[in-house]
Amino acid sequence: MEHYDILIVGGGAAGISAAKAAKGKKVLLAEREEKLGGILLQCAHRGFGGDLSGMEYAATLADDLDNVEISLNTTVLSVSENKTALLSQKDCGRREISFSRLILATGAMEIAAGALHIAGDRPKGVYTAGMMQKLVNCNGFVPDGPVVILGSGDIGLIMAETVAKMDIPVTLVEKAAALGGMARNRRRLDGLDVGIRLGSTVSEIFGEKELEAVLLSNGEKLLCKTLLVAVGLECDRKLIKKLENPEWLRLCGNCERVHPMIESVINDGTQAGEWVCGI
Amino acid sequence: MKSYDAAVIGGGVLGCFALRSLCRYRLSAVLIEAQADVCMGITRANSAIVYAGYDNKPGSLKARMCVRANRRFHELCSELDVPFSRCGSLMTGCGEKAKAVLEKKYRDGIANGLEGLALISGDKARKMEPMLSRDVKMALYAPMTGTVNPWRLGIAACENAVHNGAELRLNTKLLTIEKTEGGYVLRTSTGDIFCKAVINCAGLSADMVQRMAFPCAVSIETDAADFIVMDKDIDNPAHIIFQEKENGKGITAVPCTEGNLLIDSAPRAMPRPFATDAAGIDSIKKQLTALLPELEQDIIRAFAAVRPNPHSEDGRSINDFCIETPAPGFVSLIGIKTPGLTCAEELGRYAAKICADYLNTEENPHFDGRRKAINCADDDIVCLCQGISRAEIIESIRRGARTVEAVKRRVGTGMGRCQGSRCEVRIAQILERYRNGTL
Repeated sequence: MEHYDILIVGGGAAGISAAKAAKGKKVLLAEREEKLGGILLQCAHRGFGGDLSGMEYAATLADDLDNVEISLNTTVLSVSENKTALLSQKDCGRREISFSRLILATGAMEIAAGALHIAGDRPKGVYTAGMMQKLVNCNGFVPDGPVVILGSGDIGLIMAETVAKMDIPVTLVEKAAALGGMARNRRRLDGLDVGIRLGSTVSEIFGEKELEAVLLSNGEKLLCKTLLVAVGLECDRKLIKKLENPEWLRLCGNCERVHPMIESVINDGTQAGEWVCGI
Repeated sequence: MKSYDAAVIGGGVLGCFALRSLCRYRLSAVLIEAQADVCMGITRANSAIVYAGYDNKPGSLKARMCVRANRRFHELCSELDVPFSRCGSLMTGCGEKAKAVLEKKYRDGIANGLEGLALISGDKARKMEPMLSRDVKMALYAPMTGTVNPWRLGIAACENAVHNGAELRLNTKLLTIEKTEGGYVLRTSTGDIFCKAVINCAGLSADMVQRMAFPCAVSIETDAADFIVMDKDIDNPAHIIFQEKENGKGITAVPCTEGNLLIDSAPRAMPRPFATDAAGIDSIKKQLTALLPELEQDIIRAFAAVRPNPHSEDGRSINDFCIETPAPGFVSLIGIKTPGLTCAEELGRYAAKICADYLNTEENPHFDGRRKAINCADDDIVCLCQGISRAEIIESIRRGARTVEAVKRRVGTGMGRCQGSRCEVRIAQILERYRNGTL
């Protein structure tokens, strides 16, 4: 069984930054996709590291990782108390490794529509906002309009901008009395034709096979073919759920807490990398 | 026009078992299903319980079939390689009215020949199931109650039927039935079919289907129940827990074979089929807190079930399975609700035997009832929540899955916490490549 000083799970901004900071150690960086970058790879909007898109920024970030062993297309299936991990790599099979330190950088997961258990039908056409972001920016998908977005956090705002710029009618529904997200993301809607419903939520879904309409809690029925759920993120810690907070484990980036800014994720990843180096 | 000895109308779990049971005889059989896959109607939204048989009136068809089917369930699931958990059940009560109900069910269970049935105290029930509320005063323990995934069972039966030579026609809607010389012409959305015998398993439409050719004294009236599903990896009860309240049936909690806890509500009126009701779901959550106060309520999904309730011509509810034979060689299974899943194989065999007798055909010596589950994982993990690999998805397509939903029903993709938001696109791409022949 091959031994590593550090196993980093997740090759997004946090994992990459941790790997860079872990100088002089034998590091394995495991990433389940075929490319490093994580969620940055589906961000076409600008504002990363100055005025780069997420995709461009991911490329600059993943530079300079010469002394790190990178294992792409690799899912870490399990991690055990005795500091071993089972990895599954596409076309290469499964292998077990041992490690001295584990950095979890698995990011966050969108809260799925199912967890909201909105009343009504369960038709096609209901997506999480991040899934649609990936479909549009990476797969060239065009959502069926009109589109309703539930939740006006950063992802909801960015998707409202994306959809409106495709000339598809879009309405943003927010439970609070004001739009959420960061001011710079709220400004994205300036001059765009985006319907806004504040103080309301989606209380019922209609459509036997395909989505037809949503009923808002204010009593208004909005005809729509696509509903994007953007109600928040939760840290993805499934891999370490059974572990009891061992001293050889450190969480960084969005799996530790959801960070609003990329700079904060990078800072967190760097600190995690330095922490394992300092031991 | 294609011609068969027997046609099954409707591909729910009943239709799948009727088709498989027909294969036990020397005859040609086809199943027609309006949707893109089997098990997409009532079967898809079911409480997944294999009942012991104490709920049914001694001597009724339901009671006899349920007890017999329950005893054979492990063998059936081994034959079809479908997970079955004989987890046992506790029907809990808190007051005098519930006590009377539990005692009656105990007596009926004994009369129905059940073994191991016991009326126990609340304390004893909490020893078996420490999460139970202090309010529970007594319970009816039934060790033979179990749980099975309804669509996995139906799909397995269907796969096995196809393996034994039966034909499957999906996306085929029945338009009319015409009686003709020596049989029936089924006019469908994908062409006409001639058959000598018919098994009508059309679920919510079974009464209407019979009326296409014959009168039908039984009518179906529907009601609904809401369900919530919890994420895996939480501390679940070990048994199925039924809640008998002072004012009737409460909720039921089922620890499913996949590791999720499934909770259903008492029946309610149904404004739209399969649509959930906000008040119904809130009520489940509240009752669950009362029944299992320490349970972590980590909901990942809600859905609604529809039940076909049979009624006689004078409007009275019929409390048994209705098996109609309006003409020799035409069998209708109407209003098959609880314990329909438990009895699906028994009902299928019963209906197939009627057809085989009518057709005067012998048993098929080549029938092979064994089927193997998909078991070919490779190292390319597609569904992260459930750990399901590309090779398993491809095998499900090879076995007939043509939609993301059909793949989900066969291998369990998209049924975890993210509900498919991380894997659906890749699965759609794999299906696309299969269609283009570039897989």
